[in-house]
Amino acid sequence: MIHDEPFGSPERRRTLTIVVLLMFAFLILRLYQLQLLFHVELDKKSEENSVRVLTKDPVRGYMYDRYGKLFVDVGPSYSVTLIPAEFEKQNIGLLSSILQMEPKALEDRIARARVYSPFLPARIKRDVDMKTLAAIEEDLPVLTGVSYQVESKRIYPTLARASHLLGYRREISDAQLGTAGDYYRPGDLVGVAGLEARYESSLRGQRGFEYVSVNSKGQIIGSFEDGGRDKVAKEGFDLLLSIDGGLQAFAESLMTNYSGALVAMDPSDGGILAFVSKPDYDPTIMSGVTPADLWSELQSNPEKPLFNRASLTRYPPGSTFKMVLAAAALQEGIIDENYRINCRGGFRFGNRTFTDLHVHGSVNVVEAIQRSCNVFFYQLMLKVGFDKWNEYGRRFGFGLATNTDTGEETTGLLPSTEYYDTRYGKGKWTQGFLISLAIGQGEVGVSPLQMARYASALGNGGIVYRPHAVEFIRNKENHKVEPVRHDSTLVGLSPHVMDLIREGMQRVVQAPGGTGGMARIRGVISAGKTGTAQNSHGKDHAWYIGFSPFENPKIATAVLLENSGFGGAKAAPIAGLVMERYLYGQLIRNVPKPAPARKSPPKSMTQAVR
Amino acid sequence: MLEYLKEYFDYRALLICLGLVAVGLLSVYSATYDVGAAAAFDKQLVWAGIGFAALVVAAIFPLKTLQRISLPLYIGTLGVLLVILVIGHTVAGSKSWLGVAKGFGGQPSEFAKVTTVLALAAFLARTAISLSNPRHLILAGGIVALPMMLILAEPDLGTSVVFFLMLLPVLYWAGASNFVLAAILAPIIAAAGALFGTLVLLVSLMISGALLYAARQNRFAVAVAFALTLAVGLSVQAVYERLPAYQQKRISTFLNPGSEQKGAGYNVYQSKVAIGSGGFFGKGYLQGTQTQLNFIPEQWTDFIFCVPGEEFGFVGASIVIGLFTGLLLHGVKVGGMSKNKFASAASIGITGVFGVHVLINVGMSMGLLPVIGIPLPFLSYGGSALVANMAMVGLLMNFYSNRKEH
Repeated sequence: MIHDEPFGSPERRRTLTIVVLLMFAFLILRLYQLQLLFHVELDKKSEENSVRVLTKDPVRGYMYDRYGKLFVDVGPSYSVTLIPAEFEKQNIGLLSSILQMEPKALEDRIARARVYSPFLPARIKRDVDMKTLAAIEEDLPVLTGVSYQVESKRIYPTLARASHLLGYRREISDAQLGTAGDYYRPGDLVGVAGLEARYESSLRGQRGFEYVSVNSKGQIIGSFEDGGRDKVAKEGFDLLLSIDGGLQAFAESLMTNYSGALVAMDPSDGGILAFVSKPDYDPTIMSGVTPADLWSELQSNPEKPLFNRASLTRYPPGSTFKMVLAAAALQEGIIDENYRINCRGGFRFGNRTFTDLHVHGSVNVVEAIQRSCNVFFYQLMLKVGFDKWNEYGRRFGFGLATNTDTGEETTGLLPSTEYYDTRYGKGKWTQGFLISLAIGQGEVGVSPLQMARYASALGNGGIVYRPHAVEFIRNKENHKVEPVRHDSTLVGLSPHVMDLIREGMQRVVQAPGGTGGMARIRGVISAGKTGTAQNSHGKDHAWYIGFSPFENPKIATAVLLENSGFGGAKAAPIAGLVMERYLYGQLIRNVPKPAPARKSPPKSMTQAVR
Repeated sequence: MLEYLKEYFDYRALLICLGLVAVGLLSVYSATYDVGAAAAFDKQLVWAGIGFAALVVAAIFPLKTLQRISLPLYIGTLGVLLVILVIGHTVAGSKSWLGVAKGFGGQPSEFAKVTTVLALAAFLARTAISLSNPRHLILAGGIVALPMMLILAEPDLGTSVVFFLMLLPVLYWAGASNFVLAAILAPIIAAAGALFGTLVLLVSLMISGALLYAARQNRFAVAVAFALTLAVGLSVQAVYERLPAYQQKRISTFLNPGSEQKGAGYNVYQSKVAIGSGGFFGKGYLQGTQTQLNFIPEQWTDFIFCVPGEEFGFVGASIVIGLFTGLLLHGVKVGGMSKNKFASAASIGITGVFGVHVLINVGMSMGLLPVIGIPLPFLSYGGSALVANMAMVGLLMNFYSNRKEH
């Protein structure tokens, strides 16, 4: 028997049994920890490990004009992509010559993509032409890891450019990435101006995802769970615009040789019919990728084609502003229609003389508007006072944002007592400052968009609408056309006051001796007001605002032509043509047809700008 | 008839072995069927057949003859290991020779485990041997140390660690005093502690000292053993401190494999993710994304445990660990039942070999132990290991049926 000695004693047998059981417990505990306690976390890691997500860009929303005509389209754009891990470095030269990129720039691009993920296709060049694509196709067997993907870019199917209204998209900046929420990724295009920016969240749609299985080398080896988790990209929503595409193109053609802006609006709801800022640019050059040299040329161009003159500017309104003062004086009961002054062609205040263009003789408020008598309004300003003038200016929306949906805007400047007190100091400014304001000169500044709204309010009897270009959004998810709500305010003039002012404006166009006769439209009674704004930088700016028909107007228009002289001579005819074209659907007068704005190829910028 | 079978036929060991081999074949198939190594499964199937033959031969081999030939077998094994080592170094110019040598390099060491266990058991079974005699103790250690050194020189760290650790339960079983075991373990604990800084070194020295003290030997022996432990600990720390930072990092990653996701820790990280993502029921056979997408290098060899872990989950992995535990308990039982000292010690030796493999392999797969690259018995792909392991089960069955013989 061996049990008497230590060899294999029951005690040692027990010890070894316990050691084995401890080992079992040790391993099972760890198994329990990994598979039950840490399961969720490790399962997530395992999925990240073996599953890659490929994004599918959605089709951006379309835009239609007020007649349902396609106004902004979407077309295919081909981006060359490259998987850094699969690309062979010796092919840099070949690829850079095909893509016409500097080898160094190409290497940089690949290096940046590698940082994001060496195994995911990264965009190397956006929006390449068919020739490049064909060359890529040809060399695909050599160019391992290189491929291309189809994306959408903007196509503008009409003659209209509407560059400042529609805006454009650019690659999202790092700063925007930080603030735009977590939808966006580096390299995404995002609307940065105009409707593209304002309606970005509606237009963009929802990105789709495709889950693929990859091996440990990151190579895609098939779809994951048979595509069960894939999310199809959701199309962006369509915008149904109040814009009249034909009118827009026509207005642009009329403005071709000017620097300025034209905004036409439906006075019954504030819907924008045409929105022109000149000089402009061909939006096609911004639709895919904008070459850096073109972009910098656009930015450094002294004529500032990127600048939105329709809503981002602050021009003195000139005589078009006289109705604000007339409204204040009449509504406050300071004067009535029988109040007359005798215009001798000038007005002396203190030691300064404020001039008029003509000697108008005895005029009442209606005649003063009709003939644009400055002296009448100089004197009226002193009677009404600064604060009332400011109040009625605000009622028409001056000095305030219009809250338009068309993009960037300024509030303009409507001087007030507080403004002058801060600007010049209390008691350091005199009543003399006010006299210029009476005729829309001096520091008052307005945008053409504000002026179109002003003209609309005068046309519709005093409703100040929020100007807007989007009437409806076609929701592609529930397939409903949803109206976009736009609020409005009232100016608060009595019908009698309104009638007097409108009568004056009607005479401006229709009566002999009116300053706006050149805005006349055959067969329709129109109303308006001309303005010629002095400008310290050169020739006067020409203004015209008006609406038509006089009763129940269908269109209101504001035209501003920088440094072009008399409003009645330059701006009024353009407004007349635009309104005629809108009311009749075509021109009914015999005028030499101006050449329509040519869509220039992006290369010749001088042509594209003017 | 049934009674006779129960008496002499060790069906438990056989069933556990066959169960583990089956899991192993399934796992190897799952790990390899899509990576262009599909032939691996077919080969492993053939090896399992050969292994079964080895099992039968080992089970029916006459016990006395086995005991007698264990020393010649051992010496023959040493010769083969030496030849492999010399050829591997001198015929370096001849690729085919080197290839063959390398190809066989891992294999003799698998069989060396068996022959070394048998030789050690035969040595300890001699009546004149007493482990309280330091000379006998050193001889026993030498039997293990010789093949261990040859394998370490190959170099195959993992297998030599197995040789060393396997020695401990056998010595314990054969009657080595607690002090002997403590004196062997104490310097190792101190050396490991030295790699983690002075504080951990102090703690490990205290543990070592406590172990030695608890073994209740005379003070002089304790003092000598502790002095040795102290010397080992301090010199390891001194060497470690003078290593360049990247080498220190390599060692610390080795000791703490979960600390890094790339490089040395990559396998362990992916292995942990695979096992953890398996959850309670697993992802289903052939559905393990980690396994199927080849995230785990060497998943069909050293990291094979990931496959049942990921695809069969906690349930499946527990069954695998349970089968191994059953085999080990059975091995201890057979060792305790055997009246033949050789069979008894050999049972414990075989159990020790299995136990060390399972503990280290599964432990490293789960990020608990350093990755020293040893296979999981019956599951890992590899023909010679499978044949050797099945032969060892055959030996256990042999000892079981002969347990009443002296």
